[in-house]
Amino acid sequence: MPSNTASSSSAPAGSADSSASRTKSKRPKYSKFTQQELPACKPILTPGWVILTFLVISVIFIPLGVVSLFASQDVVEIVDRYDNDCVPPPARANKVAYIQGGSDKSCNRTLVVPKKMKQPIYVYYQLENFYQNHRRYVKSRSDSQLRSVKDENQIDACKPEDDVNGRPIVPCGLIAWSLFNDTYALSKNNQPLTVNKRGIAWKSDREHKFGKNVFPKNFQEGNITGGGRLDANKSLSEQEDLIVWMRTAALPTFRKLYGKIESDLEKGDTIHVTLLNNYNTYSFDGKKKLVLSTTSWLGGKNDFLGIAYLTVGGICFFLALVFTIMYLVKPRRLGDPTYLSWNRVPGGGR
Amino acid sequence: MKRFVYINDDEASKELCCDNRISNTKYTLWNFFPKNLLEQFSRFMNQYFLLIACLQLWSLITPVNPASTWGPLIFIFAVSASKEAWDDYHRYLSDKKANEREVWIVKHGIKKHIQAQDIQVGNIVWLRENDEVPCDLVLLGTSDPQGVCYVETAALDGETDLKTRVIPSACVGIDLELLHKMKGVIECPIPDKDIRRFDANMRLFPPFIDNDVCSLTIKNTLLQSCYLRNTEWACGVSVYTGNQTKLGMCRGVAEPKLTAMDAMIDKLTGAIFVFQIVVVMVLGVAGNVWKDTEARKQWYVQYPEEAPWYELLVIPLRFELLCSIMIPISIKVSLDLVKGLYAKFIEWDVEMVDQETGTASYAANTAISEDLGQVEYILTDKTGTLTDNKMIFRRCCIGGIFYGNENGDALKDTQLLDAITSGSTDVIRFLTVMAICNTVIPVRSKAGDIIYKAQSQDEDALVIAAAKLHMVFVGKNANLLELMFNGEMLRYEVLEILEFTSDRKRMSVVVKDSQNGKIILLSKGADESILPSARAGQHTRTIAEAVEHYAQLGLRTLCLAWRELEEDEYLEWSVKFKEANSVLVDREWRIAEVCQLLEHDLYILGVTAIEDRLQDGVPETIETLRKAGINFWMLTGDKQNTAIQIALSCNFISPEPKGQLLLIDGKTEEDVSRSLERVLLTMRTTTSEPKDVAFVIDGWALEIALKHHRKDFVELAILSRTAICCRVTPSQKAQLVEILKSCDYRTLAIGDGGNDVRMIQQADIGVGISGREGLQAARAADYSIGRFRFLKRLILVHGRYSYNRTAFLSQYSFYKSLLICFIQIFFSFISGVSGTSLFNSVSLMAYNVFYTSVPVLVSVIDKDLSETTVMQHPQILFYCQAGRLLNPSTFAGWFGRSLFHAIVVFVITIHAYAYEKSEMEELGMVALSGCIWLQAFVVAQETNFFTVLQHLSIWGNLVGFYVLNFLFSAIPSSGMYTIMFRLCSQPSYWITMFLIVGAGMGPIFALKYYRYTYRPSKINILQQAERMGGPILTLGNIETQPRTIEKDVSPVSIRSPVYEPLLSESPNATRRSFGPGAPFEFFQSQSRLSSSSGYTRNCKDN
Repeated sequence: MPSNTASSSSAPAGSADSSASRTKSKRPKYSKFTQQELPACKPILTPGWVILTFLVISVIFIPLGVVSLFASQDVVEIVDRYDNDCVPPPARANKVAYIQGGSDKSCNRTLVVPKKMKQPIYVYYQLENFYQNHRRYVKSRSDSQLRSVKDENQIDACKPEDDVNGRPIVPCGLIAWSLFNDTYALSKNNQPLTVNKRGIAWKSDREHKFGKNVFPKNFQEGNITGGGRLDANKSLSEQEDLIVWMRTAALPTFRKLYGKIESDLEKGDTIHVTLLNNYNTYSFDGKKKLVLSTTSWLGGKNDFLGIAYLTVGGICFFLALVFTIMYLVKPRRLGDPTYLSWNRVPGGGR
Repeated sequence: MKRFVYINDDEASKELCCDNRISNTKYTLWNFFPKNLLEQFSRFMNQYFLLIACLQLWSLITPVNPASTWGPLIFIFAVSASKEAWDDYHRYLSDKKANEREVWIVKHGIKKHIQAQDIQVGNIVWLRENDEVPCDLVLLGTSDPQGVCYVETAALDGETDLKTRVIPSACVGIDLELLHKMKGVIECPIPDKDIRRFDANMRLFPPFIDNDVCSLTIKNTLLQSCYLRNTEWACGVSVYTGNQTKLGMCRGVAEPKLTAMDAMIDKLTGAIFVFQIVVVMVLGVAGNVWKDTEARKQWYVQYPEEAPWYELLVIPLRFELLCSIMIPISIKVSLDLVKGLYAKFIEWDVEMVDQETGTASYAANTAISEDLGQVEYILTDKTGTLTDNKMIFRRCCIGGIFYGNENGDALKDTQLLDAITSGSTDVIRFLTVMAICNTVIPVRSKAGDIIYKAQSQDEDALVIAAAKLHMVFVGKNANLLELMFNGEMLRYEVLEILEFTSDRKRMSVVVKDSQNGKIILLSKGADESILPSARAGQHTRTIAEAVEHYAQLGLRTLCLAWRELEEDEYLEWSVKFKEANSVLVDREWRIAEVCQLLEHDLYILGVTAIEDRLQDGVPETIETLRKAGINFWMLTGDKQNTAIQIALSCNFISPEPKGQLLLIDGKTEEDVSRSLERVLLTMRTTTSEPKDVAFVIDGWALEIALKHHRKDFVELAILSRTAICCRVTPSQKAQLVEILKSCDYRTLAIGDGGNDVRMIQQADIGVGISGREGLQAARAADYSIGRFRFLKRLILVHGRYSYNRTAFLSQYSFYKSLLICFIQIFFSFISGVSGTSLFNSVSLMAYNVFYTSVPVLVSVIDKDLSETTVMQHPQILFYCQAGRLLNPSTFAGWFGRSLFHAIVVFVITIHAYAYEKSEMEELGMVALSGCIWLQAFVVAQETNFFTVLQHLSIWGNLVGFYVLNFLFSAIPSSGMYTIMFRLCSQPSYWITMFLIVGAGMGPIFALKYYRYTYRPSKINILQQAERMGGPILTLGNIETQPRTIEKDVSPVSIRSPVYEPLLSESPNATRRSFGPGAPFEFFQSQSRLSSSSGYTRNCKDN
């Protein structure tokens, strides 16, 4: 048979043709895969297995929940909301005017340690109702500019805080512009308490995201001043407050690390905090809190995981119980043919 | 419209038509990109994705990098485009090969070697043996002195036999040298696609012949793509070239078929789209409100006071982009991929290989496997589909004497052999008709045996039987036929052949007996076309009875007849015949009319009965498929009685007491309408009873019914599970398919011959049997299988699995897209409804393309039930037919599941990662990991059949997710630098993951178990039974049989005025008479299930 050809014929016929001859010559090869006969495990949901699974889950989850809850309980946490109290009573009618005004913003707070706190103790500031995850906000930064000097003109994403009279702002963008600038000075029993502010930012950020030779330029020199200012003589990789701030939070309530106290605090210690209440959260009713907290293996104080584990474990246990009772009260033979009637199939009852 | 082709005159025909360049390609190099893109963008989904991708270029509104949409979009387009390009390139290559083939033509009187593409209309083309015909030619000369040549037309119509082609009478006797210089004109119709017709005239210019017009038919042509066989050379003038040839005109791009499932998926996509618009509008409004009330106070956001005009649109558009992932971009690619694999599984299936010929099944259409599982009606041809189409001559009745009745084989009937040796005239004439009244070509093989090349299996059977009865058809030499009878050579000269057409239902030859010069007309044909032309006075009664008797046995009958013609009569008629043959308009009809003039006063010699055996496994297959709730209709061109017999023997209809046949017949409109109404009435009243009611209709009544009582007929079609339509034409077959389709039934048409092609193309699924009647049906079909019984496996195994798998895959695709989209929506509520994306661009892109698409692809080898269980309980197919696994309510389940999971992931993530941990990148990655973990468990929970591959893909994918993210986390410039390392070293991350899995899967697992145990579906019960290995396996039969037998005993024909048991009219009435009283007959027919030869045995019982 001349091999040229027939395939040149029609499109549908042509393809069928070549294939027809192909099928003739080529019997399908046998393999377990082509015959869809790979060895397989076909699990079915027998009551035994299901009840056992739920029991096992509850047996794992409930202790885990207890452990998590204990871990969370072990954490000692001092939370002090100061945004309201740090505004002098006469100015409270118009807090926004106060915070934007030039009067003295210092404020004294006293905290009492409820329990022994082991070092390291983390000092956080907590902001509430602050949308660091707002779309206009998260996008308003330039990572390449932060990384190297030569990209300092890459400020497209930074609008509206991109330049001052045509000169690029370093670091540009809303995030940097709105840098948190309340400061805390702590003292314990009238002795100053050192708050270590080094190493509070991620190491990877310091080393790779913020350049060692990138220095702030034209920062906060625009028409309106946003948040804190930066020391123009320190490179960005050393400005750890900025680095921490620029790790944007995903939730409107968030804590950011302010520093670490590297000594233990005993129960009953009083801590005096002298803070400068510079940051404006009053225009949007945001709360500001100062937080001192130890950590556990699970992180800070957070009962959620423990409670959730106990709940899920409890529900699983309950389900295991219910299924057991159902099985005992109303046993069903699996695959019972009496349930298999084909009456609903039209004409099936032949 | 006519076309005039001037032979050997380049100038005259140059501007007339194109050259012979064949082009099957869809694209050229230049238009590929625009055309292909245009084509791809004609799909709504693609338009949508393009719009989204374009919107993303606007950086003000895009939540993520535009690459996250452009990447997948370009990838998907590239895949589709390269597939198209690849196919087209292959078409181009094969075209090129055909176009550049060298052929000999005559140009300006000189023989030249040119490429096939340069052939012009009017050129004379020379072909040698085994050459392929390059374009449509009118034969002018052949090596054979009689001007005959043989062609194989397999590529054109799929028939593998050799066909005879002759030169036009005008060209007879022209010298070889003169052929070069031949001039003339051919008047032919404009190109059309009818490969069975060519009504043209030819007139040669002087000096060749006078002005006599010579008619041309398809017999005088060599069509493109045929092969010249058994002929040294042939030459012809090209009349149609290039894409204008008959073959080229037949080409057409078949309408892509859309499965019910695809339609459902499209519908669901539409619903999701609407949902998305609603979400976008709500969030858009909320976002704008929040912006005006809250965001203005947030000084750090610096909302400008003055806003451009489109400001109001920005937030809704951002949400549109954020929600665009709701419609999974990957679903089309995944579906194409798995559908391709379903088709491969069909082709690979060794159980669907015809052991005799080694033909594997073939899926020409890879896109519609799911529809196989949803078939509701099967329309089947009879001959060659249910039967083997291996014709064997079994019995005959010559001059009123029955031969072969004792042993069922006339060839061994001593009485017949005696009659032959004694030289009974009738018997010898009978054998002569058997041997030469046909278009068979005997070919002597190298070994010296005679092989017959026949166009129809019946003719083949008759010639072979005649040969066994010592009337051997030895050779055909042009018009001279040689017969060897008992060592004596008989020669007949063929004068005319009155061809078989389906209208005439008979064929005749006029031969001249060379021994005594007598002219004889030999006819054979269906009884109803031969018997009316019988000689007055001849007793046709015995013949009619014989026909009836044989039909009862399910044998195919042909009546043979004979008449001596007077010389004058023949000559007179011959002129008319010639005239009719050269008519251009309505030629076929005119010829039939002229033939009628000769075929009268026939002396009926007798009846032949040919057995066409049922294929192996046909009754079981039909039984199983009917149990699966599939309705069968038999559409056949055969006689009513034969059809009913076959139907009975293959379980199509039940024997009398249980089954009931309702006949619709009548020759006039009133008869038919009355009959139809009566049947309809019976149908309506009996549908509640467990009775097999079937109606029988013949082609004539069908035509009337369809014309005047379409509505009633449609109702009947809906009511009736079984129907037998006999003597229907191919177009009626297609019409019936159309009717069922219009009632919204999924139809499958199965056939094997050219007459089934239209029905196969019309049906939702066309299945062709690559059988003896050629490959025509198999070519037109979506699936071709070797034997009818493979249909069972095709539907119950492949169709069902495909349906289940696609149902899971498509819904799962929506689930995972919705899951991540819901999380984004929830997140927008805590991010000031500003349209921030929680996930980064890389994750979003990879989520649909990598993280979630791999595990689900392995669902293509998932099996809910084993093949044997499905075969034992075919009723389970009901779940697929009724679309139980993919419909709005199951989809709602998946929708709810994704909503639930999104809530679980979101709530747990924002609480576990609150306060000091609420870093954007980390939180996003925790939520994403949660989704990945959940989806791995969802796939695992929905998988019924864990092979190594499943484990690899589900758990491997989970590992792959981490590996990939470690890689991303190692790139300093990426946004998620170090994130994954950080998370993985935190115990709280792992604790959170376990919590998400536990909280997300626990309730779903419990719900599944509850349903599985206390509200099990039939599938669940069978799964349980299968794995417990219970006694369930024989259940279906135990349950139903005793009951039905009791019912059977009830009297049958009480309502005889209403229904008309067809069987009672026939000699079979005897059988019915003891039917109700003795159920033994029924048992017997039941037991026939297992024996495929039951049908023949049944014949002998009678």
